[in-house]
Amino acid sequence: MRTCFVRCPHWAIIAARRRSPELRGAPIVIHARVGARDLVHDASEEACAAGVEIGMRWREAQAHCGEAIAFEADPLADARAFEPVARALESVTARLELETPGSLAFPTHGPSRYFGGDDALARAVRATVRGVLGAEAPVSVGIADGRFTARLAARTDTVVAPGGAAEFLAPFPVARLGEAALVGLLERLGLTTLGAFAALPEHAVLERFGVDGARRHAWARGDDVSAMALGDPPPDLVVTMELDPPVTSVDAAAFAGKALADRLVGELAGRGLACTRVVVEAQTEHGETLSRTWGHEDGFRPGVLAERVRWQLDGWLAAQAVVIPDGNVRAQQDADAFADGGLDSTTGALTLLRLVPDEVVPIPARQLAFFGGDAAAAARADRALSRVQGLLGFDSVGTLVEQGGRTPAERIRFVPWGEPREPLRPLRVGAEVATWPGAVPAPAPARVFDPPRPAELLDAAGLPVRVGGRGEASAVPARVGCDALAGGGGPVRAWVGPWPGDVRWWDASARRRGARWQLVASTVAGDVACLVLVEGAQASLEAIYD
Amino acid sequence: MALAAADRARLIQLAQVAQVDRRAAPVSLARDRVLAVPGRFGDLLGGAIPRGSVVTVTGPAGAGATSAAVALAAAATAAGEWAAFVEPEGRNGASSLLGGIAAIESGVEPARCAVVRAVSRERWATVVGALLDGMLVVVAAIPPRLALGDARRLQARARERQAVIVALESVPRALTGAWPADATRRIVIDGVEWRGLEPGAGLLAERVVHAHVAGKGAPPRDARIVA
Repeated sequence: MRTCFVRCPHWAIIAARRRSPELRGAPIVIHARVGARDLVHDASEEACAAGVEIGMRWREAQAHCGEAIAFEADPLADARAFEPVARALESVTARLELETPGSLAFPTHGPSRYFGGDDALARAVRATVRGVLGAEAPVSVGIADGRFTARLAARTDTVVAPGGAAEFLAPFPVARLGEAALVGLLERLGLTTLGAFAALPEHAVLERFGVDGARRHAWARGDDVSAMALGDPPPDLVVTMELDPPVTSVDAAAFAGKALADRLVGELAGRGLACTRVVVEAQTEHGETLSRTWGHEDGFRPGVLAERVRWQLDGWLAAQAVVIPDGNVRAQQDADAFADGGLDSTTGALTLLRLVPDEVVPIPARQLAFFGGDAAAAARADRALSRVQGLLGFDSVGTLVEQGGRTPAERIRFVPWGEPREPLRPLRVGAEVATWPGAVPAPAPARVFDPPRPAELLDAAGLPVRVGGRGEASAVPARVGCDALAGGGGPVRAWVGPWPGDVRWWDASARRRGARWQLVASTVAGDVACLVLVEGAQASLEAIYD
Repeated sequence: MALAAADRARLIQLAQVAQVDRRAAPVSLARDRVLAVPGRFGDLLGGAIPRGSVVTVTGPAGAGATSAAVALAAAATAAGEWAAFVEPEGRNGASSLLGGIAAIESGVEPARCAVVRAVSRERWATVVGALLDGMLVVVAAIPPRLALGDARRLQARARERQAVIVALESVPRALTGAWPADATRRIVIDGVEWRGLEPGAGLLAERVVHAHVAGKGAPPRDARIVA
């Protein structure tokens, strides 16, 4: 995209002089703290003439130019001072993008045609800026293909012809790319100019320097495709409410939450949007921030969102009620138990409530099925499940989502009702189906123990069956015992295995090595097919084919 | 399980068509207010069960009671309606969970199948009652010593809502009891034979379930279901 880059060099100095006109002609040094060091951020011509350099230590600059007037850098004030310039340039183009105080960019497509060419545009821009800053103000304008090239062109006040970017860039040092690590490496490789870097093959750069390197390679080739962030900024859809006085009772919090929820849904509806996922955030008086995402696939309606907010606040404040009475160990244990149960434990009253619409969609055209069908059933089910959630707690009601994994327990994720139904390990990544070598084959067992029940798998001699390092069994299983089987277990009638499994072998803390048998045991109540895992010396019953 | 995927899909489609047909009918007769149950367990029940009824399922651990209940839940989700599983409290805290993959393999649509975990005895009747308001099929593991009054109230609610209670009377390693009131169908599973797995070879492939059904308005039947 052909871009015009406007730069007012030493803007911090210009801004300081615009604030205090008596500083005209005096040496000025602006310094800023960078980490532990105090460095010169900008210096006026007079100071530079005395030997001050940008980037040198402030103490050293004082030694060079003792009479300089010093200021701390104030980017906010600089940005405010640049505002009149930006506003004046809005007569040239409507689509400005400020980069730093003192520099901005805009696409030339329309303005250039209007002014009759790039050179005329550059003249018009320069005249406009000088109209604000005074006839003598330094301003440089660069026009080129792509923003990176335009920025470099602005240093020399150049208009680079279309298609001439690569040629223009070639002699510049690679340091202009700005990325210290990449630049250092390129210099050590002997690639000191952008031209030399640009000459490398694209795929080799991608391989060696990654996506970021490839992007900068495109810059060096004069092939900067990055779009400018233009257009209307997205509207701020977040709604916030300060709770003053802080709220500890669920009812009061829910009342505030309802008002907030209605406001959010109303504002979104005014824009023709519905929210399918919302983050409920709260802050406590101790500065803790709590947040939880709630989803609804058709978009929240006002009552529904208010209800969700109420449950969430209820959860937070209820968990806290356990902690508050006294700080002793028991209360702490209870709080831990709550935390384990998925509730967040909090301390203190809520001071701030915020609803962040995380995902919005155009309001779905709601159409009921022809014979009053599925949508009505879904609404009924939603009400029933929400009510049960109110009775038993948020985490005890949900639906199951199939996900990637090897064992029956791993392949299912329980998602609490109202949360987005997303697997932890997706079944397909892009267009590719994820494969899970060593997964237990179909049919799947209808009863799963999570965690697995301790069991014993014995050979004909009554010794536990073990699995060696190469996945071979010490003996053939003859008897399985477990309290989940009728009569405590029985002889093994048929079996297949061991299927060795060595998962997460790259992670010492999460590594699990074991072997699995699918077997049919004869118990007092008849045959039972089950899945038995042997890990080390311990056998366990993972599932029953009920 | 032995049902080929194509077979299953076809049966589900037929059930859906039948359901729409029934909804579209101007007058619904009592004999039309049924839940069509596809598959082999459906054949055992004569292809359908009346809505607003109670079906009990019992059998020793591993015989296939869960699979029978899952087949009924699958019938509801295939018809575009909802199903829910009420899981029991475990003995000493550890119970067995419904195998979700098995449910999906038997045709349950997981997005329309809710699971309520570890419901305590005290809350059980309230929870099942609330679920009957929104679900077509509620598969509930019956807690021990369920009060007859509670059972009758739930039965009345199911009749009013035209929902089906599947009373699961046995769940491995869970505290369960018997359904104390009367039931429209009682499915008793006596045993199972597994095929395909030999000593040291093969894989579990299919099973033959020995089931017995008794109930009102239908003669008692013994059946061997290949599932």
